Amino acid sequence: MRGRIVLRDVTKVYRKAVREGRFQSVKGALLHGDLLRGLSPREQFVALEDLGLEVAPGEAVALIGPNGSGKSTALKLISGILRPSAGEVEVEGRVTALIELGAGFHPEIPGRENVIINGMLLGLSRAEVERRLPEIVSFAGIEEFIDQPVKVYSSGMFVRLGFAVAVAVDPDILLIDEVLAVGDAAFTRRCLDRIARMRREGVTLVIVSHDLDLVTALADRAVYLRRGRVVAEGPADAVVARYRSDVAGEEAGDTEGQERVRVVEEGRRWGTGDVEIEEVTFSSGGVPLRVVPSGADCTVHIRYRVRQPVEDFVFGLAWHTSEGGLVGGHNTQLDGLEPRRLNGAGEVRCRYGALQLASGEYWLDVAVHAADGLAYDYWCRAARLRVTAPVGWPGVWAPAHSWECDQPLWDAGPRGER
Amino acid sequence: MRAGAEVFGLLWHHRALVVALVRRDLAARYRASLLGYLWSMLNPLLLLAVYAVVFTTVFQPRMAGAKPYALFLFAGLLPWLFFSGALLDAAMTLVDNGPLLAKVVCPAEVFPAVTVLAHLVHHVLALPVLLAGLAGCAVLGLHPFPWTVLLLPLALVPWVLLTGGLAMAISAVGVHFRDTRDLLANLLNLLFFGTPIIYTLDGLHVVWLKRLLQLNPLASVIEVYRSLAFSGRFAPATDWAVALGVGLVAWIIGAWLFLRLRDTLVEAV
Repeated sequence: MRGRIVLRDVTKVYRKAVREGRFQSVKGALLHGDLLRGLSPREQFVALEDLGLEVAPGEAVALIGPNGSGKSTALKLISGILRPSAGEVEVEGRVTALIELGAGFHPEIPGRENVIINGMLLGLSRAEVERRLPEIVSFAGIEEFIDQPVKVYSSGMFVRLGFAVAVAVDPDILLIDEVLAVGDAAFTRRCLDRIARMRREGVTLVIVSHDLDLVTALADRAVYLRRGRVVAEGPADAVVARYRSDVAGEEAGDTEGQERVRVVEEGRRWGTGDVEIEEVTFSSGGVPLRVVPSGADCTVHIRYRVRQPVEDFVFGLAWHTSEGGLVGGHNTQLDGLEPRRLNGAGEVRCRYGALQLASGEYWLDVAVHAADGLAYDYWCRAARLRVTAPVGWPGVWAPAHSWECDQPLWDAGPRGER
Repeated sequence: MRAGAEVFGLLWHHRALVVALVRRDLAARYRASLLGYLWSMLNPLLLLAVYAVVFTTVFQPRMAGAKPYALFLFAGLLPWLFFSGALLDAAMTLVDNGPLLAKVVCPAEVFPAVTVLAHLVHHVLALPVLLAGLAGCAVLGLHPFPWTVLLLPLALVPWVLLTGGLAMAISAVGVHFRDTRDLLANLLNLLFFGTPIIYTLDGLHVVWLKRLLQLNPLASVIEVYRSLAFSGRFAPATDWAVALGVGLVAWIIGAWLFLRLRDTLVEAV
C-alpha cells in the first residue's frame, strides 16, 4: 500500500505544433528570429487548468470526459512523462503507465530484448527482468515467438507482450489509458483479472476510459473533466451518470444540451429540471422511519413534480456506504418497466421485502432520467438511512442465513436461528 | 559546469539502460544482414583500399608529414567519420525514439549518449583495419609502425566529450526543427574541408589561410588523434590542452542546452 498521488493546482499548457500552417524550421527561426520568443495566447492550448486530485494508496480512480478534456494529459503528468506548466505533482511509489501497449518496442529486435529494455525503463534491473521473463512470456502466450523480431508479431501478440511486461514489474501505481479496448475478448478478460488481482494487492489505480461500464466496475471514484477543468467528482456511478446525462443532453439538443442540464448543487445535484424530485423518504411496516432494523421490510418513497411532461423516463436509485462505496442500484428500465407518460405530481415507491444490509449508515442517490441517460433530476445523497442489527456483521450484505451440520457440533446459540 | 556534471551523473545512473539501448541499436542495424558486425570493419577496409589505389596511382599528393598519403588520410578520416556520423544520427535520435519518450517514462538524455556510444563501437571495430594498414606499411618499409597507436584511447577522450556535447545540443534542437539534419549535413561538409583531415596545417603555405584554419577548434582534436595513430609521436601539450578544453566546453554547453530544452522535448517529438 504505497502508491500515492497528489496533484495541486496543476496546469498544463501545450505549445501549438503548427505555426501559421507550417512546421517550424531552423531556416524560419533564423530568418524571423523567433526561436526564443515567448508564446502568445494564440499559440497556446490549455489542456488542464488548476487540477487538484488526491489518490490514496489502494484507491481506484477513473478520469472520464469527452475527447480533449485533458484526461490523458493528467495521466501523463502523473506518470512523469510530462511536467506541469504550473502546480505540483507528487507521486510516491513505482509507477507503470499503460498508455500505448508495446509503445517503444523496436520492430527489428527480438521480443526478448524489447522486453528487457521496457522492463528496465519501468525500473527493473536487467537481471530482474530476465528472472521474470518466463512469467511475462507465458502471460503473453508467445513462447515460440519470443526470439523473433517483433515486426513479425501480430498486433494481438504485440499488445499482449506490452501488457505482460508492464504488469510484471509489480508497480505501486498502475495508470491505464484506454488500452484494454485493444486485443480480443479473452485477452481483455485476462487483463481485467490481472488488474483485479493487483487491486486486491493494494495497487493504486488510475484509469482513463470511454468505456463507462468498465469505469463503474473498476473505479471507486471518478473525476469528470471537460476542457481541462473538473466538472464533477465523487462515487464512480454518480459521476458516470452525470457524464452520461451531459452526453445525452448534447446529442439531443445539439450544442446547448449542456446548458439544458443545470447544476443545482455542485457535485451533488443536476438535471434539466423537467421533472423534479421533491423528497425521498423511507418507511417500514407502513410507518415513516429513518432507522430500519436489518432484515425488516423497507420502502423508498420518491415524491416528484413534473414541470414538462415526458414520455421517456426512468426512475433509479443507488445505495452507497457512508464512505462512498457502491452497494447496489436498480432502475425501472433494467426492471423492464415501459414508461407511458409522466405528468403532474406523485410518488414512486421502491419496495424491499427484506432489507439485507449490515448495520451502518447508507446514502441513497435518486434520479429521474431519460433512457439515454439525460438527467431530469439526478440527486446524489438525496436521503440517508441508518440500519441497525443485533450483530455487527462485517461488510454491507447481511442476508438471512443459517448453519447446518450432520452431527450435533454446537449447542443452540443464544440468538438461535437468524 | 553543473549541467555537464549533472548529465554525466544521470547517464551513470542509467548506465545499464544505456548499454542495453546501445546493444539494441547495433543489433537493429545489423539484423538480417549476412555479414553483421563485419560491416563495421568492411566499410573502412574498402575505403582504405580505394584510397590506397587512388592516391598511389591516380593522384600523388605531396604534403609534408603525410606519407603514405592513403594511410595519413585514413587516420584522420576515422575520427571524423565517428564525429559526423554520430552527429547526423543525433539530429533524429529523439524523434526516432519518440514512442519511448512519449508513451513510456524514459530519461531523454540517454538517447544522444546511446547514439554516440554506438558510433564509438563502430569506430573501435574499424581500428583493426587501421592497425593492419599500419602494419602492412611498416612491413613494406613505407612508414615506421607508430607504437603510440596503443595510446589511442587517450585521444578518444576529447573526441567523445566533443561529440557527446554536440550530440546533446543537436538532438534537442532537432526535435523542434526537423530540418536540423539537412542543415547539419551541409555544415559538416564545410567543416570537413576547414579541418586538417585531407591536409596538414604544416603543409599549407598560404599564411592567412593557415592562420584562419588554426582557429578551428577541431584542428587540435584531429592533431592529438592523428599524431598517435599515424605520426608515432605525442602532439604538443598545447594541442592536448586545446583538445581537452574544446571537448569539455562542448560537453558543458551541450548539457546545459539539453537540460534547458528537456521539458519541451516530449511534447514536440
